[in-house]
Amino acid sequence: MDEMKKVYIQEANELLDNLESSLLSLEENPNDKSNIEQVFRVMHTLKGNSSMFGLVKIAEFVHDLETIYDKIRQGEMQLSEAILNTTLLSLDHLNRIIIDSELEEEINKENHSKLIDEIHSFIEVGSSEKINSNVSDNSEALDSELTSEGTKTYHVYFEPSSTIFLDGSNPLLLIAELTALGKSVIVPHFKAIHHLDKFNPIHCYTYWDVYLESACEKTDILDVFVFVEGNSTIEISEFAYTDLLSNQSFLDVTTGSIYKDLKTDITAIKLLAESIGVSSKEKAESKVEVSNSKLQSKKSETKEKALTSIRVASDKLDELMNLVSELVTTQASLSLFKEKHETPELEVISENIEKLSRRLRDIAFGMTLVPVNNMFSRFQRLVRDVSMSLGKEVDFITEGGETELDKSIIETLTDPIMHIIRNSLDHGLELPSVRESQDKTRKGTVKLKAFYSGVFVFIQIIDDGKGIDVDVIREKAISKGLMKEEDELTDKEIFDFIFNAGFSTATVVTDISGRGVGMDVVKRNITDLKGVVSVDSQVNVGTTLTIKLPLSLSIIDGLLVDIQGVNYIIPLSVVNKCYEVDNSDMVKNFNRLLVLDEMQVPFINMREEFGYAKLDFKGKSQLIVVSDGENEVGITVDYIVDEYQAVVKPIGKYYRNQDFVSGATILGDGSIALVLDTHKIVELYTEHIKMELK
Amino acid sequence: MKVEKTNYEKKGETKSFLSFRLAEEHFTIPVMKIMEILEVPKITKIPQSPNFLVGVINLRGAVLPVIDTRIKFGMSPIEYTINTCILVLSIELDGETIIVGSLVDSVSEVFELSDEMIKPTPTIATRYRADYIQGMIQEDDHFMMVLNIDKVFSTLDLESISESKDAKVTEE
Repeated sequence: MDEMKKVYIQEANELLDNLESSLLSLEENPNDKSNIEQVFRVMHTLKGNSSMFGLVKIAEFVHDLETIYDKIRQGEMQLSEAILNTTLLSLDHLNRIIIDSELEEEINKENHSKLIDEIHSFIEVGSSEKINSNVSDNSEALDSELTSEGTKTYHVYFEPSSTIFLDGSNPLLLIAELTALGKSVIVPHFKAIHHLDKFNPIHCYTYWDVYLESACEKTDILDVFVFVEGNSTIEISEFAYTDLLSNQSFLDVTTGSIYKDLKTDITAIKLLAESIGVSSKEKAESKVEVSNSKLQSKKSETKEKALTSIRVASDKLDELMNLVSELVTTQASLSLFKEKHETPELEVISENIEKLSRRLRDIAFGMTLVPVNNMFSRFQRLVRDVSMSLGKEVDFITEGGETELDKSIIETLTDPIMHIIRNSLDHGLELPSVRESQDKTRKGTVKLKAFYSGVFVFIQIIDDGKGIDVDVIREKAISKGLMKEEDELTDKEIFDFIFNAGFSTATVVTDISGRGVGMDVVKRNITDLKGVVSVDSQVNVGTTLTIKLPLSLSIIDGLLVDIQGVNYIIPLSVVNKCYEVDNSDMVKNFNRLLVLDEMQVPFINMREEFGYAKLDFKGKSQLIVVSDGENEVGITVDYIVDEYQAVVKPIGKYYRNQDFVSGATILGDGSIALVLDTHKIVELYTEHIKMELK
Repeated sequence: MKVEKTNYEKKGETKSFLSFRLAEEHFTIPVMKIMEILEVPKITKIPQSPNFLVGVINLRGAVLPVIDTRIKFGMSPIEYTINTCILVLSIELDGETIIVGSLVDSVSEVFELSDEMIKPTPTIATRYRADYIQGMIQEDDHFMMVLNIDKVFSTLDLESISESKDAKVTEE
């Protein structure tokens, strides 16, 4: 039962997320019927799920909410700002009570009754409105009756999936709902059952032809089947604009096939309809064609969807990734073994396995990637609520939501981005009146943008607010002793001070007090993900915050190098070029600069840095030029061994002070290579140099 | 697990202990804490790390940090002999279970012990920090110290010793 409850909560969470985004888009386009339908449908599913699990309180609550949207859907009520607000509040409430379904917590209980009262008041107001409108719009109603020009005859073919009972649906109820739409003739059929032993009592073997004479629209008929259309076959066609069902010969033919497994020959019946002389007009004919094909395509779409996505527990995915990592490591030992033993057969096998494991790696890897849209949609609500409470008007734009990132990265990234957006809204954007006085649009813009560049993903948060003044930050940094008056720093370096602990942007730029969490936490979170964050800003134009992240943390392509007998991996993503240099050039190098391709490149002697033996004066070293996007730095290694697919594993808590090693990987021979974080090495080295200069 | 422990204490049932040697001293820890005992494989040293952190090894695909237990106890660094081995320990650290390898000179035996047989440590007689030692047991003519390994390998202690030789070399 616990397992079931877990499934329920998981599904409910998804439904609520879905509901939230539909509600927010409904807020933007209040007249969009499809959104209202969507909201209604999700509520209905949630209600069904809840009552199935016996969570009566939730079911009743959702039922009341649903009533409002049903009325709106029917045009009996007008959607209002107040209704939307209450619905969103109810959503928050639901999020809490799906865990506390018996309302054991006092606060939930309170909210529950408060919200129910609000909802009921809406329903009551809505009903009285309806009566009013009925009176005043009487003439209109008459008009619409006139234009509908009587009735139409439909043929509805309904073949439920054989497992329909398992979903808890009763096809007879659907048929009953259908017949409630008008006058009808129902022709049930049975699918052939050849042997009794093949008969499964919980499967549905019945299907129906229903001839319906009604004034309703086709969409109304589709609505009846809205919850089963995914796996049942439903075909609806219009026969004629008149009432066929009163014609006896028509009835004779249609009911002739009753209880037989006969595919009703619709065309024959259509011909009959024509011969009776009450045939549909040509226009109707073509309509049938079009709508039929439309339906068909809709059906195949839903079928395709059902096939292309399945729900998988994330720990299963993690396990898959682990196994693939093991496979990649084992494959490396196989290749090593192959090289030692020159057997042609072994070579073929080893190469095949290499190819397969590489493909498997890519596929498994792709599965752990999630589009950032999942995260982006969560911010919609945040922006709405925060901007409302601040009295600011904001256009929140998201771009590149389809960009994919490792799911674990996304999870850790949500909080920092939420913080940045909140900052933009609070400190970045000005109040509407201030904006207008500065010839800006009344509405501010906050843009959240994600895109790929090489093996990195960039996420930018761009606002068009008042920006950050470099000089103010400069002064603040000087007063805090972070830099000296005479230091010449680039704007970028100065902006980086924002990420220092206790360096609140709020107190720098304005006098509004900042929120508790600082940008230093944001930076730490992003650094933990091996990401880099930077700020750029222009006064009165806006601020852009850029986060640069690796695509994945678990498996990287790297360069396997050797420094005094110890193996290291340098991620290929940062490697620009490799050179061979004489050690003598470096040992006596006072400036620690080498001229390579007519460019001056600073270099780091890794042997010195790691406390290994000194470089042999006569020998040669390999210099690997790495870049962090702006600066190029050379790193010396003894020699380059190979290119290597490294499965990065954590080295544990004991080594948290050695953060220039971002992890370790296991080589084909079972020994360990350390994965270097060159960004950190450069940082450490610069600190050393500064210390030396002092 | 906790329930079991209290049962032991109440009924005075016996637990298994493993004894090992560091230089000339004998120590013992509950077998429950030991996952396995390994021969010493190739160890990869991580640069600029304190010298009691010997490095990392490959334990069937996982990366295992290895600690020179002798340095940790203020003795001279371990000398590798045929008897040197690594105890793979599962310890509690900040509420998390982590796996760590501990280098020891040799392992001696596994024996049964009831809680009453563990005597409190005389506060003056030992040169080790009192919270590292859970108690003493007497076996024939010599004493053996029962270690509180969760404490011995806790990170905070590691950090306080981390001002070590290696780190200084690089700074010079």
